[in-house]
Amino acid sequence: MAAVWHQCLNRLRSELSPDQFNTYVAPLQAISEEGSLRLLAPNPYVVNWLQQHCLGRIRELARDNGGSAGPLEVTLDVGTRGLPAEAAAVSLPVMVSAPPGPPRSEFLSGARLNPDFTFESFVEGKSNQLARAGAFQVAENPGGSYNPLFLYGGVGLGKTHLMHAIGNRILERKPGARVAYVHSERFVSDMVRALQNNRMDEFKRSYRSLNALLIDDIQFFAGKDRSQEEFFHTFNALFEERQQIVLSCDRYPKEVDGLEDRLKTRFGWGLTVAIEAPELETSVAILMKKASLEGVTLPSEVAFLIAKRIRSNVRELEGALRRVIATSRFLDREITIEFAKKALGDLLSLQDRLVTIDNIQKTVAQYYKIRVADLMSKRRNRAVARPRQIAMALAKELTERSYPEIGDAFGGKDHTTVLHACKRIRDLRESDTRVREDYANLLRTLTA
Amino acid sequence: MRQLPLPVRLRDFALFETFEAGPNGAVVALLAAPAQAAPAAWVWGPPASGKSHLLQAACAAHAGAAYLPAAELWPGGPTTLAGWEDRSLVCLDDVDRLLGQRDWEVALFGLFNALWERGGCLVVSATTAPGAAGFVLPDLASRLAWGGVFRLEPLADDDRVAALRKRARHRGLELPEDVARYLLRRLPRDMRALCDWLDRLDTASLAAGRRLTMPFVREVIAAGRPERPVAPS
Repeated sequence: MAAVWHQCLNRLRSELSPDQFNTYVAPLQAISEEGSLRLLAPNPYVVNWLQQHCLGRIRELARDNGGSAGPLEVTLDVGTRGLPAEAAAVSLPVMVSAPPGPPRSEFLSGARLNPDFTFESFVEGKSNQLARAGAFQVAENPGGSYNPLFLYGGVGLGKTHLMHAIGNRILERKPGARVAYVHSERFVSDMVRALQNNRMDEFKRSYRSLNALLIDDIQFFAGKDRSQEEFFHTFNALFEERQQIVLSCDRYPKEVDGLEDRLKTRFGWGLTVAIEAPELETSVAILMKKASLEGVTLPSEVAFLIAKRIRSNVRELEGALRRVIATSRFLDREITIEFAKKALGDLLSLQDRLVTIDNIQKTVAQYYKIRVADLMSKRRNRAVARPRQIAMALAKELTERSYPEIGDAFGGKDHTTVLHACKRIRDLRESDTRVREDYANLLRTLTA
Repeated sequence: MRQLPLPVRLRDFALFETFEAGPNGAVVALLAAPAQAAPAAWVWGPPASGKSHLLQAACAAHAGAAYLPAAELWPGGPTTLAGWEDRSLVCLDDVDRLLGQRDWEVALFGLFNALWERGGCLVVSATTAPGAAGFVLPDLASRLAWGGVFRLEPLADDDRVAALRKRARHRGLELPEDVARYLLRRLPRDMRALCDWLDRLDTASLAAGRRLTMPFVREVIAAGRPERPVAPS
């Protein structure tokens, strides 16, 4: 019987295009039963495609190749060998190591923490120092006084990296620990499926028996009351057992709309730390480190070029570096500044095009809910003057315009006014958290 | 007419061998070894710039891969993005059709995370760069661009000639260089239209039992032109 399917596969391989074969046919699992061939597909989409394009042909081939066994009946369903379809659909959080003692649940296999994301591979700078220190403390002493650890900050700044680093470190210190990294979206979708399939007990058990739960992007819980309810209980269960919880979010917990107050309160019980956009030097250090991990020599002036142009987030920095590396490998050329400029041509010009003084003024006005005209005016009250200074400092940092040019663009101000604004903002970014955060947010918006 | 073994119309198999890289060598090399692009890469360019061909070729070259065109996923809703997480490579064509809609983006986020956890790679294609693609979830935009954003540059004329001849050769047709250049001068210049014409020439040459010589090609084009819809004056 297996031979019949094997022959079918050979024929289909020559009749379908290779991408169709790989997408729809190769992943099928064939089970031979008395006089029939049962095909299991990974999802309904594959079933549907095969029914429309290929099932008739498979039946024909099975009939022709059936031999003395007579005609074969071919059925096609969603599922995995040994598991009914609905069981295969529920995937519970992934354990990094098998819990000692009781047998592993069939769901707790497959994925793992990303071993590349460790504290050693994390580049520390002023922008992420506190977050890194907090994360390291938690990893050394899970379930201790920093429980939960709440990491917040914009997209692509290293929250996920730190969460994996915590998980990896906990496991390094205690190899049998039950650690799970879960994205909030997965918590929600797993819970929905568990509800649909009456498997809530198993869902609860598996989450509540963890030693450390690392849950990413909890802003995804906003507005999902049932998930919040379930997560509330999971949180309490773990907390009471003194198991570690690490949460990440794109903003400060109190600012997440659609999140229940009792959750917000609990999230603040332990340590809450911000992670900010890297300063230029940290970006450069990140690029150099990533390049050396790839075994590539990256001259520092090239790292500065990339870091200066791409200010929004670390993932984008990495993306640009990947492109330079891919091009250099393909052409077998050394990475020089000219080479990098050419390889990143459209990316760099896009950045140049987007950040204009005009754009900066609009963005700053929108951010502070004032009018662009206010920025151009001579009004000096704080509500207008501070945003104006920030806009001027951003213009200096993000465009190639001179002080007099920037002054002109702000309703004909003197160049010394711009100079003063830049200095003032530089000082305030050191001393005033609010200004520092506003500036970082605006910088991110403008360069995203 | 040639007999098709299946009720689907098979296009020329989209393989790396039939893809003329021209100025896009780096991205072609990257997709030929997608582990280097993991966890994700973003390939973009205008219509008919070769995105689908490239993604199908990547899928054809890797046994654990899947090629998913957004237009075909669309009617089934966001749940069609489930059940691909065990693949080593998922190529999602025209991803921008799915963006801007929260439920699709959440499902795509789920697919990305599942692949990433398992060390797989998600390659997407779009007509714009990520910044202009209208994402609802900035976290997703940033993740999909992680492995690099690659714009497919248009082919120069010499590359187009080479591409046409490569494709012809792959289907067992000899397309002389002067004839290829003639096609480029006389026909719509985008590669998709040129390849459609190559199809017609293939069929005509088979039916007439003639090779693709200049006089024969001129004849086919002259005969083919009136069949095309004429724009109202």
